[in-house]
Amino acid sequence: MTQINRRKLFSASAVMAVVALAASVMPAQAAGEVGVTNTSVKFGITSPKTGAAAPGYEKIPGAIKAYFDYVNDKGGINGRKLTLVSRDDQYVPATAVQNAIKLINTDKVFALLGTLGTASTKAITGPAGPATVYKVPTLFVNTGFSGFADKKKYPTTFALLPSYAMEAKVIAKYIKDKYAGKKVGIVYQDDDFGKDALAGFKTAGLTFDVAVPYASLSQGVATVPPTWIQKLSTAKAEVVVMFGVSSATTALLGNAYALGYKPQWVLASIGGDATTIASAKKIPIALMAGAKGLSFAPSPNDSKDEWIAQFMEINTKYNPGVAFDNNIVAGMTTAFLTAQAVKAAGQNLTRKGIVAAIEKSGSTFANPSLAPLGYSSTSHVGATGYWVGTYDTTGGLNADGGKYTVYTTDSGSGAVVESTFKRPAMPENGLPK
Amino acid sequence: MKTQIIKTRLLSLVSISGLLVGLVVGVPTSAQAADPQCLTANYVTQCAGATSDSALYTMVAPANFNGTLLLWSHGLRPNIDIPAGIPSYGGYKVNSAAEFAPGLSDGDLTILNTLVAKGYGVAGSGFARQGVNVTQGVAANVELIAAFKKKFPTTTKVVAWGASLGTQITQTLTEQHPELVDAAVLGCPATAPGPVMIKYFGDFMWAFKTFFDPTIKGFGYSAGKLGEGEAALDMQKFFVALSKISAGTLSGAWPDTSSAAGKALEAGGVPVRSAMTLVALLAGVPLRSEHIDGNSSPVGLETAFELAYTPAIAATENGGTVGLASILLMQDGESQGGGIVFDNKATDYAALIAEDRDVYSAALSGNSATDSMLGVLAASPRVTGSATAMAKVSQLLPITGKINVPTVLMTAESDQFTVAGTAQFLIDSYKVQYAAAKTAAMAASKKSRTYTTPVNKLLPLWEKTAENYTVFSGATPDITKPAGRGTGHCKFTSNQWLAAADLAIGAAKKGSFGLGGTVATTARKVGLTYDTKFRVPVMRGLQG
Repeated sequence: MTQINRRKLFSASAVMAVVALAASVMPAQAAGEVGVTNTSVKFGITSPKTGAAAPGYEKIPGAIKAYFDYVNDKGGINGRKLTLVSRDDQYVPATAVQNAIKLINTDKVFALLGTLGTASTKAITGPAGPATVYKVPTLFVNTGFSGFADKKKYPTTFALLPSYAMEAKVIAKYIKDKYAGKKVGIVYQDDDFGKDALAGFKTAGLTFDVAVPYASLSQGVATVPPTWIQKLSTAKAEVVVMFGVSSATTALLGNAYALGYKPQWVLASIGGDATTIASAKKIPIALMAGAKGLSFAPSPNDSKDEWIAQFMEINTKYNPGVAFDNNIVAGMTTAFLTAQAVKAAGQNLTRKGIVAAIEKSGSTFANPSLAPLGYSSTSHVGATGYWVGTYDTTGGLNADGGKYTVYTTDSGSGAVVESTFKRPAMPENGLPK
Repeated sequence: MKTQIIKTRLLSLVSISGLLVGLVVGVPTSAQAADPQCLTANYVTQCAGATSDSALYTMVAPANFNGTLLLWSHGLRPNIDIPAGIPSYGGYKVNSAAEFAPGLSDGDLTILNTLVAKGYGVAGSGFARQGVNVTQGVAANVELIAAFKKKFPTTTKVVAWGASLGTQITQTLTEQHPELVDAAVLGCPATAPGPVMIKYFGDFMWAFKTFFDPTIKGFGYSAGKLGEGEAALDMQKFFVALSKISAGTLSGAWPDTSSAAGKALEAGGVPVRSAMTLVALLAGVPLRSEHIDGNSSPVGLETAFELAYTPAIAATENGGTVGLASILLMQDGESQGGGIVFDNKATDYAALIAEDRDVYSAALSGNSATDSMLGVLAASPRVTGSATAMAKVSQLLPITGKINVPTVLMTAESDQFTVAGTAQFLIDSYKVQYAAAKTAAMAASKKSRTYTTPVNKLLPLWEKTAENYTVFSGATPDITKPAGRGTGHCKFTSNQWLAAADLAIGAAKKGSFGLGGTVATTARKVGLTYDTKFRVPVMRGLQG
């Protein structure tokens, strides 16, 4: 009997010691995963909602929330409602970092979503960035910087967009196929964005007769864009690729129009955002007419596409008064993939679990992209291709010949090939299976 | 009734000791005798003495001394006179007066009086030499502890604390003499290894002079008074160039003192703000400063201002401290080491900023401009250090990072002088040390069948940088406004120092820091954060 009591005492004191240790200055562990309750999962986004970069992009958080609201009205995912905390970073990396810290530590989000811009995303997910420090997944980022597909360097970051290098390779193939023998020029942003693209063009074997780099923000200096036109026209460039942001595209098209320069424009997807160009109200949107553009998702004008039709319906009901465009498509695609990932991660939702779920089955997630997704245990690349179309006088991008011809490739030395990918059918009512 | 009397007595002791300490601080402290000269009045004894190497010291204990001594080590005092007009230190004359609590150098007796009123003893030295004086500081402190215990034999615990360079002294004391210290507080820690600290300042100054004024000597000062004069001249040149950089931040104009390569960059369209941003980035200088939060802009310049200009403005504000410190430390390090103590022959500056350049692309004016600037640095003559002198630096700043006693780290996230990466070094080092201790404990438990988790000995407290604090006057940040929280060097409040001291004293008595929630609450009340997951970038000298 005494023996038993001693044992009991011993084990009781051992338990107390363990409890005391757990409560001491070592960090306390939460019972469940941060941001997850039995009835909800909380996500966070930092993106430009005000400031110079906001037009167009400011719609993305609203679109994500609209899709989440739609899902929640249908019962949520695995019984949990999806919620979103949105903070405005004005496209400034330092602010994005502060926002991410607040989303993680104050708002206690489960994961970050859809961060926008390479600089901000790098600042958040880099070696000393808050997502890395606090081990918070950063899902479906809105930047084409090819580095984010590198799982070793960014272990909990997943890309959504195809990389800029992929886009450049697709453009290179298109130009070589369609405009062989013509003089080709390029205007590009002289940072990671343009650097990634130049690497893609080089890999694809496209050389330029004239290359015009511009430093980010210099497109806003009135005397700078006319010099681009001068260089391009002096070189007699007949086809000009624009690999920059929308404000630079606006400056390029506006100054070319004023100076009577009329090449065949090929606008990379970031700078070919018609919504942003239109909202700036600096040029008539009709100046985009005839320019070539690229997208990995169906055209927002394509109401026959089942995804676009479903997203339009959701937008009308849950995001009333906000015009449907490619930014809404991007936001809802982000939201759908997130819901799909939550579903795949199962009832016991953890940060590690959702990363593993995307790596395991992300490449098979249904979504609007017309190009296959590249998620795997070794790569965090998102969509892997583009289709090329032509802008109309309203800024709408329409598939040439009325058919999406999708080219797929990688960010490295892989060939650009016409995709045979058959997009999975949209799950019933646009809800993840 | 008894309680009432005691309370009244304590109350009067508090007020009297405040007055007394204020008065006694003025007592001559030039005693050279082995035993200190002491004066007791109004229940407080204050002693002034000197160690065997003539370091002046002061020690204070109240009548109700509770057995715990707080041993203070002051921060950097230049070992040369500073010309008038130099920011922060202008007109300074070498000063070896004893300093025995935080705040005294600013004439603030709050901390001293609070501690004495609570029954603690306090002591501190002025050290036998100024400048880089870790060796002398440790020696003085060892003697001072013995002197204090001799005078006040009821001493049971010693808590060593220090600020800035004083943390090198304090940490080294705990590494070399753990038997003498029961706990430590390292405020604005300068606790990275010597070569890493030298690299921080050296990289900044070398890149600065390479771009903005090649007549700044920076390295290789002459011996003796001649070298002191060269350093003084460098200070003047440095601040002239810095003020011209500041004036050209918005226009892009470079100082007229710039190198030929710098002027060529300017002619090529690279604005001076980009070069200043690069200089700060490659050294690892914080890009938030006392008046620049990095998130604010004047009306009408939203986004563009933060992206293009604020990094350079913060770099310029922080750069003043870094450049001045570089001159002082190089001159003093070289005079003690007998040669150049910095070497960048093999430094790949492009690799150092490979990750950051994309984040600060607009501030650096894009890839072409960045590559041009890096090209200038790659083509410029490098500094060749003296192997003997550099080895000596490791002895002059001998920290290993081993934590022997419970230690409170108190760090401002955007400290430009002792950057937060110095604290991160200790934190990362201790993680390795703690993991090894756990492994050893596991191994021991196989024999004893009893596992005891090692006690955590390192408590990092952060003063995180505030989000928004820049105030604009038109299009220009107003630097006359109060500094933002978590910026600047050693700007801790009295309450923050006292909270850190309380935590260390508690750990000295109990052997551990106690419950995490209690620590977090204590920290939060004084504007600090206890966050074991928080990280700051490691110093450039520890990268790779």
